[in-house]
Amino acid sequence: MGQVLFIVWRESVEALLVVGILNAWMNQNPQGRAGKPYLWGGVALGIALAILLAVTLFSASTLMAGSQDVFQTVMEFMASGLIVQMVLWMREHGRTLKKELESGLAENASSANWWGVTTLVAIAVAREGSETVVFLYGMLGSADGQTLLHMSGAALLGLGLAFLTFYLLQLGGKILSWRLFFRVTEIMLLLLGASLFLAAVEKLISMELLPALIDPLWDSSALLDDMTPAGGVVASLTGYRAHPALMSLLAYLSFWAGVAGLFFWRKRRPAA
Amino acid sequence: MKVAMFLAAAALSMSALADDMPTYKLEMKDGVVNPARLQVPVNTKFRLEVRNSGKTPAEFESTQLRKEKVLAPGVTSSVVILPLAAGEYKFFDDFHMATGQGVIVAK
Repeated sequence: MGQVLFIVWRESVEALLVVGILNAWMNQNPQGRAGKPYLWGGVALGIALAILLAVTLFSASTLMAGSQDVFQTVMEFMASGLIVQMVLWMREHGRTLKKELESGLAENASSANWWGVTTLVAIAVAREGSETVVFLYGMLGSADGQTLLHMSGAALLGLGLAFLTFYLLQLGGKILSWRLFFRVTEIMLLLLGASLFLAAVEKLISMELLPALIDPLWDSSALLDDMTPAGGVVASLTGYRAHPALMSLLAYLSFWAGVAGLFFWRKRRPAA
Repeated sequence: MKVAMFLAAAALSMSALADDMPTYKLEMKDGVVNPARLQVPVNTKFRLEVRNSGKTPAEFESTQLRKEKVLAPGVTSSVVILPLAAGEYKFFDDFHMATGQGVIVAK
């Protein structure tokens, strides 16, 4: 029972983190509300994709054995890139969005970006959602009436807890100053982007498309073991590894170097 | 698109190459992994054939080995593990974390 609750919560939180931050941001900006249909459209698309993915995983899991990894790798790289693009865009347009929309000049640019929101949210929801669907489908399908009731309860509770996290984020937007909220969520999103980038690079390593170089570089499992439930959450939200390969560390560092470089470059450019 | 095609080709060539390596079997059954302690040779690439013989889905996962694979009930699938240095490598069934713990020992 506890595992149903935990898995549903954990898978939902990662997806809701993205949705929650975007939604809170849109609430802060009166003009941001225009993007809401794109946001919730992305959620709906993501859920549909999750179910489709789960069905494919079940019906063609032997057929998909090879391409499942490839597909996930591409998805993770895309999601990571979209998160960085989103954060950059928010930094540049967050405070001036209202003015720009009023003058009508940025309308095209921002409506093009709303489709980016849809894509990002759809990927985030589909990625976590497909695992949840596979998990629940099998768990619920094999249970008898009584257990089924208990398990559905636990699943709903897990989803409820995830929405509580989502709600706290929304609340955060109201309690904290706009500037602080922006800073905190920016870091959370970038950490998630780094974690996705690392997960994709590690898939390339395990497909032997990239060398691991030194593996492992160190062992910090005594400090925080990424194989425990709590450590696993930290690992998926920040990219923490207890036994990183040198290539993983290089990938992680180059992600942050790339982000820093992009921020610096965009700052020096006159606002476009 | 090109990247995706390249990756797909690489995945295909990989599965073709995968035939001449030692294979070890692992069974996952509703939260029980068997063997829970799997001994493998050190510095040797090998294939792990994971079979989910339970009634619930399982996910073979190891952050340490950088592997995750979802298995529907009754499904058998393989993961290729790259040469390991001597030591212990933990893995678990992500869908049954309470009991589904195991370790691969490279000796």
